[in-house]
Amino acid sequence: MSTSISAPTPPLVCWSCQEKSLGAHFCSNCGKILQVPRGIDYFAFFGLPRKLRVDLDDLEKRFHELSWRLHPDNFVRASERERELAVDHGSRLNDAYRTLREPIARVEYLLALAGARNESQQRQQAPPELLEEVFELNESLEELRRTRAAGGAPAGLRAQLEAARKEFQEKLAEVDAQLERAFGEWDAAVDDQAQEDARKKVMSRMNELLNRRSYIRNLVGNVAQELET
Amino acid sequence: MGRTVGIDLGTTNSLVAYMDVTTGRPKCIPGPYGETLCPSVVSLDADGSVVVGEPARRRLLTQPERSVYSVKRLMGRGLADVQDELKIFPFRVDPASESVIRVRLGERVFTPPEISAFILRELKNWAEAYFGESVERAVITVPAYFNDAQRQATKDAGRLAGLEVLRLVNEPTAAALAYGLHEEQRGRVAVYDLGGGTFDISILKLISTSAGDIYQVLATNGDTHLGGDDIDNLLQTIIFRDVFDATGRDLSQDPLLVQEVRKALINVKHQLSTEDAVPLLISFSDGDPFKKFIRRDTFDKLIGEFVDRTMGPVKQAMADARLRPAEIDEVVLVGGATRTPLVRRTVEDFFGRKPHTELNPDEVVALGAAVQADILESGVKSMLLLDVTPLSLGIETYGGAVAKVIPRNSTIPASAREMYTTGVDNQTGIEIHVLQGEREMARDCRSLARFTLKVPPAPAGLARIEVKFLIDANGILQVAARDLHSEEQRSVEVQPSYGLSGAEIERMLEDSIQYAEQDFAERQLIEARNEAEIMLKATAKVLESERAAELIVEERTAIDAAVSALRQAAAQSDYKLVRAKIDELNQATMRLAELTMNQAVSAALEGKRLAEV
Repeated sequence: MSTSISAPTPPLVCWSCQEKSLGAHFCSNCGKILQVPRGIDYFAFFGLPRKLRVDLDDLEKRFHELSWRLHPDNFVRASERERELAVDHGSRLNDAYRTLREPIARVEYLLALAGARNESQQRQQAPPELLEEVFELNESLEELRRTRAAGGAPAGLRAQLEAARKEFQEKLAEVDAQLERAFGEWDAAVDDQAQEDARKKVMSRMNELLNRRSYIRNLVGNVAQELET
Repeated sequence: MGRTVGIDLGTTNSLVAYMDVTTGRPKCIPGPYGETLCPSVVSLDADGSVVVGEPARRRLLTQPERSVYSVKRLMGRGLADVQDELKIFPFRVDPASESVIRVRLGERVFTPPEISAFILRELKNWAEAYFGESVERAVITVPAYFNDAQRQATKDAGRLAGLEVLRLVNEPTAAALAYGLHEEQRGRVAVYDLGGGTFDISILKLISTSAGDIYQVLATNGDTHLGGDDIDNLLQTIIFRDVFDATGRDLSQDPLLVQEVRKALINVKHQLSTEDAVPLLISFSDGDPFKKFIRRDTFDKLIGEFVDRTMGPVKQAMADARLRPAEIDEVVLVGGATRTPLVRRTVEDFFGRKPHTELNPDEVVALGAAVQADILESGVKSMLLLDVTPLSLGIETYGGAVAKVIPRNSTIPASAREMYTTGVDNQTGIEIHVLQGEREMARDCRSLARFTLKVPPAPAGLARIEVKFLIDANGILQVAARDLHSEEQRSVEVQPSYGLSGAEIERMLEDSIQYAEQDFAERQLIEARNEAEIMLKATAKVLESERAAELIVEERTAIDAAVSALRQAAAQSDYKLVRAKIDELNQATMRLAELTMNQAVSAALEGKRLAEV
């Protein structure tokens, strides 16, 4: 799949007036709500470039403006066709906002659009540089479970796990910071109209960071669960 | 073209409201007794007619086996879901109930949507009498935490009542709308809605934009199994135990006493909102009455756990909205149970600010529904509600796990597209199981629907079918499928796990039309019988008078025959026959009436005849 800045959206032929329409959501000729163009992406839906650093206030403003015009409430008395289109537009708008306002969902979506999101085949497999710490953590977890099964829960073990949790939470924050920097690199590549290769490199790194992130998150989740039971 | 109203279909009470264009404010419509609250009680008369509201509530005492209340608790639920309810509520559930509960009223059985439809029809009648015009469309409110099946059941009820349901609106959101309009406040608002049977908490953001105001729900949570009714049940259980300990009587065995005690307890509960101690007196036809003083602090202790149970959802909603209590600008209380001082105190303590109670907590939801009904009807939008789905939508995957496709608190309408293909050669169908809930495993979530996606025979993995799961603006699931090879839209037959199928709804709609005709026939019969009774009494009286002696034998025989024919007709249920026999008696007594013209007693007979001409 192409990694161009924004999905090409060919001019639509309006279902109602049969004229070519230049509008994104409403026909530029007759003003009727349009069919959602096939293949339009969430960025294009908001009229945004495919960049990863998003001004959330601006995004919310766009969301509210589009909601005001596209919400199915506006079409309760309209024809069945228009009502269907409004639900289609309205749901895409909400799906798009839900995805783009969260940095992780946003980058995952961007990578998926470009076909560059590959979740690691074995989620359970630790990234090599974390192997040792993960091994230690798993031992502690195992020991806690064993002690618990025997009827006790030594405070020392708990403290050890708390420390491990904190450590992995810090690693998570580190990954997030790395991702955020990668966002900047990506946006710069978009602005500079960089070559396909350069973009692919950033995407591939973001993909790895996402895999690492989801691994650590699972780990933190497991520890939290163990500590809370 | 008829009017549009907003309806709050509540567990204990229901209301109907409309937008008063002269004042620009929503207003509740009173019923025949001048009250805006219509008890959500339905009773089936021995003659087959349906009684709704206050008269039905009184029948809870006299004919408990023909009456039903709190039916909202059964909406969209299966038999297995309501076992707890059945222990306390005197619902007579038909054993044949499975995915849809069937409640027995006298000799007939009804589904919860049908019973709710009787309530909606009553409110429709109130509004039609008030406007002198037909009412055809409505916005109906539902608890925010209602799942797909409960929403669908409510929509079905509207249809069965002859209403086009323009929108289902979440109760706390409707309340926020009424409140926002009233106070013209902006900012972050928490709506704590403790109704008769359900609890909702919604966190909203009220935003002014250049186009108009937007009410955006950030997060919602709740418990569709928690309400003022539960306080009543708790009190009831405790008092029954006290009575048993003191007198050895088991009140639960006597449905009449159950209702009487329940009524007394509800009164005590209401009084405890303002008094520190209230006496409870239960009289028995035989033996000494049971007396007990119930103190506010004892009451608070009893319901403490119940009030605490509302705080779990409150904290979850706040976490989902990513807000701390101090970041909430206003707190609004909705629902009759929020009159309880302990509830107010608990909410105030959590948010650190005094909650708003300016609007009548019973009416505020209906008022908000009326505002939304007006917006949808007129097409003139002064504000926009952006609501969310309360529960995550998921699909069962390998090993009984659930893959979430639309997370809870997503603004609706919301959709998700999933790609499906085949696993073996020439596979012709793919099974899909849709669920709602937050748990990891399918067995712990609420099953919404199962369906089989048909695929043309082909080598494994070749089929590419995109299934679109859509939660519409009512919070109801719709499923569509598209074959990506042929670009063909495929129809999907979704069998709901709980609820009525399309065919069942159609059949009920037919029944309800017959019902409307039957209702008419019943009213006619009652009127004809009343008239016959007056007629027979008057005739008997005249026949005893001295004037009767002037009748010739044939006349006397004819009158006697007509009287006995009318008596027989009145005992049957054909109102046309009764009318015919009334006419015959009129004819037969013509000369007798003339004979007695000057006597006061003739007035009844003559007056009757004149009125009929």
